[in-house]
Amino acid sequence: MTSPAATRVPPARVSRQRVGRAGILVLVVVAYLVAARLAEVDLAALAAGVPRMAEWAAKAWPPSTQGLDTLLLRAAETVSMALLGTTLALVLAVPTAVLAARNLTPEPWLRMPVRWLLNVFRGTDAFVFAILFVAAVGLGPFAGVLGVGLHTWGSMAKLFAEAIEGLPAGPLEAVATTGASRLKVVSFALLPDALPGLTSVVLYFLEFNIRASTVLGIVGAGGIGQELKSSMDLLNFPRLFTILVVILALVTVVDQLSSRVRARLG
Amino acid sequence: MSGAVTDDLLGVCGLTHAYRGRPALEGVSFAVRPGEVVAVLGASGAGKSTLFRCITRLIEPDGGEVRLHGTDLLRLPRRSLGGARAEIGLIFQQFNLVRRLSARDNVLAGRLAEVPTWRVLARRFDPADEQLALACLDRVGLLAQADQRADRLSGGQQQRVAIARVLAQQSCVILADEPVASLDPAAARQVLDILRDIAREQGIVVLCSLHQVDLVDGFADRVLGLMGGALVLDVPVGAFDAAARTALYEPASKP
Repeated sequence: MTSPAATRVPPARVSRQRVGRAGILVLVVVAYLVAARLAEVDLAALAAGVPRMAEWAAKAWPPSTQGLDTLLLRAAETVSMALLGTTLALVLAVPTAVLAARNLTPEPWLRMPVRWLLNVFRGTDAFVFAILFVAAVGLGPFAGVLGVGLHTWGSMAKLFAEAIEGLPAGPLEAVATTGASRLKVVSFALLPDALPGLTSVVLYFLEFNIRASTVLGIVGAGGIGQELKSSMDLLNFPRLFTILVVILALVTVVDQLSSRVRARLG
Repeated sequence: MSGAVTDDLLGVCGLTHAYRGRPALEGVSFAVRPGEVVAVLGASGAGKSTLFRCITRLIEPDGGEVRLHGTDLLRLPRRSLGGARAEIGLIFQQFNLVRRLSARDNVLAGRLAEVPTWRVLARRFDPADEQLALACLDRVGLLAQADQRADRLSGGQQQRVAIARVLAQQSCVILADEPVASLDPAAARQVLDILRDIAREQGIVVLCSLHQVDLVDGFADRVLGLMGGALVLDVPVGAFDAAARTALYEPASKP
């Protein structure tokens, strides 16, 4: 008999709780209504559009195999773009991650400015960089390489720094107290334990960038995205279908390879 | 400052440190001769770790002297501390090996201060250093495990690799902070026996904190007792009797 009495709450508190919950519910509903309005959600347009898309899908069969060699070349261009962009990011990320890692930075005052700079690059999408570089260095995959590289730099350096900060301090301290210099400590005591984590980060970005690079051609930065855009503009659905299949196959193969390699690290 | 000529290898005099105004070490003084094995005892928070960290200046003491071969380490400028630190080998409770390196490479880490930077970067050590590393592993009975990764070894084996690392460092002082606290009794005894034997053989000073009093027998020559940051006991192990053992861990005797 004691438990109901113990759990009974004074009436005033119950009603305040109820008012609070109702208030939150109203806020959430209003937020969704405003969002739907701003996003111009139009169910009638969707209803009209679905049959049109079904019609396109019907037209897309059978997929076109014409110019498949060009498509594969473009796909290879996309992979190259991602590979070089990720490598560029790696080259830039190693020194900046050292500056940004709390337990490694030789100049602690530089840590925050470096982090802000990295956030700027991380916050700017590869797509945005690609548009800028297409204007600066011209159409083609090279603009894509630069765009992918700069955007990935920020994210990669941040994850590198976090991986380094997560390492146990004990072994580093133990080796440092033998009187060894910082460079020796880092290369001998830190790198072996950090390497699997860092490699995994690089593979993740390579995989991510291959997916991201498939659409960079839309803004003129080369690769299979360029074919995607031209087929879309010409409403060439059989070819569009083939392109989507090629992209899907590419992404699946890369994901599988990458996850297998990552599983072996450890 | 005293300039007294002694055969002491390590001399600590009036070592004082406070954490945020709370005294953690209060004027601790003692001196140790080569080959002497000293157990440092005391309840948790008595100042054992603080003492060790102050000796190596991993934390800066507020005052006192730490004399190694007559040189006061606390007066050395930070940049010339590296060389002095190389003479003090540290053994940790958590072993602190580089997990993914082999036992041999972990022992070679003890040579890093001496090895040219390019050799470290290229991982090409002088054959003499390689030989030394293997000899040190042999000394702790782990020659057969030289190529095993550190994280594949048992706790007792890892601590023995850490001892081999200190041997490779060719330190004249070993500070062991709770080296056997995470080991089973048999492995603990083995590690302490090795520490005692290398002290005898090579005239090394071993300063070792322990929280199990019974491990002192057959290991240490001398016992230091800390309580509330003050040195309250400094006796040969033979004089460390039951009454002294009880007194050291008696909270009521604390002022």
